[in-house]
Amino acid sequence: MADATLQHDTVQHGVPGAYEAPLFGAYSKKVGMWLFLASDSLTFGALLFAFSYNRLYTIPWPTPFHAESIANATIMTACLLSSSLTMVMAVFAAQRGDRAWTRNWLLATMVFGTAFIVLHGMEWSKLIGEGLTIPGFPKPPSAATGELADISKNVPQFPATFFGLTAMHMLHVTIGVIYLGVVAFRKWFLPILGVLWIAGYLLIPADNVFHYGIHALLLGLIVGAVILYLKPKDYDAHDVEVSGLYWHFVDLVWMFIFPLVYLMSTKIQ
Amino acid sequence: MMHDTATHSDSKVTYFWVWGALLFLTAVEVVLGYRQVFQPVRMLEVLIILSIIKSALIIGYFMHLKFEKALMRWMLMASVVACFIIMYFFFFPDAGRVHDLGVKWTGQ
Amino acid sequence: MVAQDAHAHSAPQGFIRKYIFSLDHKVIGLQYFFLALTAVFVGMFLSLLMRIHMIWPGVSLPLVGEIKPETYLSLLTMHGTIMVFFVLTTAPQGGFGNYVLPIQIGAPDMAFPVLNMLSFWTTFVGFVVIIAAFFVSGGAPLHGWTGYPPLSALQSAGPGEGLGADLWITSIAIFCVASLMGALNFITTTLDLRAKGMTMMRMPLTVWSWFITAILGLLAFGVLLSAGILLLMDRNLGTSFYVPLVVVNGQVLGHKGGSPLLWQHLFWFFGHPEVYIAILPGMGVASQVLSTLARKPIFGYKAMVYAMLGIGFLGFMVWGHHMFMSGMSPYSAFAFSILTMCIGVPSAIKTFNWLGTLYKGRIRFHTPMLYAIGFVSLFVSGGLSGPFLAQPVLDIQLHDTYFVVGHFHLIMGVAAIFGIFAATYYWFPKMFGRMMNETLGRIHFFITLAGTYAIFMPMHYLGMAGQTRRYSQFTEVAYQAKLIPLQTFITVAAIITISAQIIFVINLFWSMFKGPKASDNPWEATTLEWTTTTPPPHDNFGGVTPVVYHGPYEYGVPGAPRDFVMQNDPATVSAH
Repeated sequence: MADATLQHDTVQHGVPGAYEAPLFGAYSKKVGMWLFLASDSLTFGALLFAFSYNRLYTIPWPTPFHAESIANATIMTACLLSSSLTMVMAVFAAQRGDRAWTRNWLLATMVFGTAFIVLHGMEWSKLIGEGLTIPGFPKPPSAATGELADISKNVPQFPATFFGLTAMHMLHVTIGVIYLGVVAFRKWFLPILGVLWIAGYLLIPADNVFHYGIHALLLGLIVGAVILYLKPKDYDAHDVEVSGLYWHFVDLVWMFIFPLVYLMSTKIQ
Repeated sequence: MMHDTATHSDSKVTYFWVWGALLFLTAVEVVLGYRQVFQPVRMLEVLIILSIIKSALIIGYFMHLKFEKALMRWMLMASVVACFIIMYFFFFPDAGRVHDLGVKWTGQ
Repeated sequence: MVAQDAHAHSAPQGFIRKYIFSLDHKVIGLQYFFLALTAVFVGMFLSLLMRIHMIWPGVSLPLVGEIKPETYLSLLTMHGTIMVFFVLTTAPQGGFGNYVLPIQIGAPDMAFPVLNMLSFWTTFVGFVVIIAAFFVSGGAPLHGWTGYPPLSALQSAGPGEGLGADLWITSIAIFCVASLMGALNFITTTLDLRAKGMTMMRMPLTVWSWFITAILGLLAFGVLLSAGILLLMDRNLGTSFYVPLVVVNGQVLGHKGGSPLLWQHLFWFFGHPEVYIAILPGMGVASQVLSTLARKPIFGYKAMVYAMLGIGFLGFMVWGHHMFMSGMSPYSAFAFSILTMCIGVPSAIKTFNWLGTLYKGRIRFHTPMLYAIGFVSLFVSGGLSGPFLAQPVLDIQLHDTYFVVGHFHLIMGVAAIFGIFAATYYWFPKMFGRMMNETLGRIHFFITLAGTYAIFMPMHYLGMAGQTRRYSQFTEVAYQAKLIPLQTFITVAAIITISAQIIFVINLFWSMFKGPKASDNPWEATTLEWTTTTPPPHDNFGGVTPVVYHGPYEYGVPGAPRDFVMQNDPATVSAH
């Protein structure tokens, strides 16, 4: 197939009108992201169905969440909702071509996203410390007793669905923060990510599950590096908008996880 | 070639309202959930309806789908929602059966 | 539109960028094709070992030694998984779809070339991971390609259920991600990159079939991904989504409270669309080849499109017919039964249209035509047993017997393979610039067709007589003694049929280098891939984008200078 490589400098393809109007009327990248989100919503949907399925036949379902957990989760929700607003602002800034403010708003979005992850991580650690755990997690130094430990023993479905769903969502938020970081700072974000990964690995004690969970950052680092190597370009307004779609979707998923996992399991007074 | 960004100039204010509405609905959910205003099943219905309203706001405004072509709106939403509806009708009767038939080991 | 910026990549230089990490959809299509070719031989070899073991259970084979019962289970698991994922999903969609779809709609490449490359290499990693399962301690998993828990969810359930099963489920998760990338690429390409005049209703039926397949893949693989994640959690983190209280060897395991039915629901929500993912591209290719080589417009183009859309839609609502005997709610079973039989309607529409296309055509019996006719034949004979299995009552007798094995091998296995063969013989000239040998092709076809029927038709009788599937050894079982001659016949037929595939491989590689040079349009077909040079240049049409004036199947148009009108002929003859 050596003759298959024709030299052509003036390719006509870019000419508008050479193609039928796109059926969805949007640029390809946006359509692609929407299709991915359709698929991803089914991934999350299946998890939520698995959760509801387990919950329906597991009677009685434990309802252990006190005011503290609910307050924490509410703050997390507010973080995500606000991050969506800053994301919208970033898209606006990108569309007017204001690079500095695009970056600032993206940074604000990332800060809110990181706040969400940190709050969530702290809550996980607290719950695990109090005994809500699954067998595969590292054991805390002293075995906890109390209501949550009993739940883990008697209704393993509860911690399993709780950690499964929220871990999947947390992973998506993490990917989202890395995605936005790459869009905002491109290759300069990778060293930051690397430092965060190593620092997290060294600072989080080995009996905490995030000692291992932090490797998600390494994965993000590798994927980000590969993508930046393959497409070393400046990200434009379209890229910002597409990354925004992903970010809002992560927010959207939380709108279902929060009531189903937290609010439907609040302590009955 | 740029996407129709200029067509809705009222823009930014709308998004702040949407954000406010989302926070408000979240607050309503939290109060309902924490005060246990309804029986669990009714509570689930109310929370799910509120969540669907919230997600419609996010999809419509933040994700901009309200301003996309009608075909795109309908195709995407219809395919995903159809899958969920089908799952709903076939998953949950079996979950109920697992419980009703007593094949589940209930704890102690 | 801006989408086309992506295609500004110029022809690559250097071996690695040109043939290994290529962004060109044609090279990626060929990579998929050869990956599937490798996989199909691995899968076939495994089935051969299984057939030999069934008849001569004590025999010691070279390389593998004596096959123990658990080895037999590993063989069937890996045969099923490799065939379903890495052959039936990979070759028609990833291989031919990638190669032909952009050319047929007049695009220079896929909408996202980088994603396309990543999707292939992710699939490749998935394949390496699943092959690795053979070589880890304990060997390959035992739980069948459906991976039903609790067997698949417990590390202690058997020798292959340790690391081997982890690799199995990891490979499937990787494959899900790869298919997802491929699917959204296909959909976006079809939506956005159709040349001027290529309206949706002028697209060749192959493009429609790949498009609909991609939609199914997009919606189905996401669900399998989460099912797989939960299974991995059950296996490695000690959760119990799928595992009820289990006692193994008198010991109570740490799991409790899960429901194996949940996995079956999630798996088959993916699994049933998956069989249409395997067969739909075959339907598209059959339509294309039948119309082209019968020199007639396809009978009922719109009906074909709507039938495929109907099959795709109904395909999401019938998964429960795999679970009639699993303790599912009988009301759901009733609904699933009705919906399953509804799928017979669009399938029958398609069959009648294929026959209508052939009726009074001037048929040219080239090898692709033979395979397309073979596809229709297998589709009918495999499909006819479908309505039987759709009855929950009959399923009490027939489930998990060889009746089922015969049914799904005919319709989803070999019919799809016949689609792949038809596509290979049909597009080979475009892909490699040379013709394949017709005589070898015909010999290959007749042996394969006869062999296929000889293998899978008797399986229906075996099933009705009560022969269960997945049992490694039954030569000593008294009530099955009378079935052994039939089993022996099947094994002999399988050995012959598998040997006949060597003819195909010889034909493929010999023709690739020594076959007679092909012209640009050897089949006198009308679609866009035959308007460009053979093989097509890097951007498919040498820098211009074709303009389409006609539908895809305009053969025998009255008043036209030739008996066919190419899609981009600006001829004044108005068709239809």
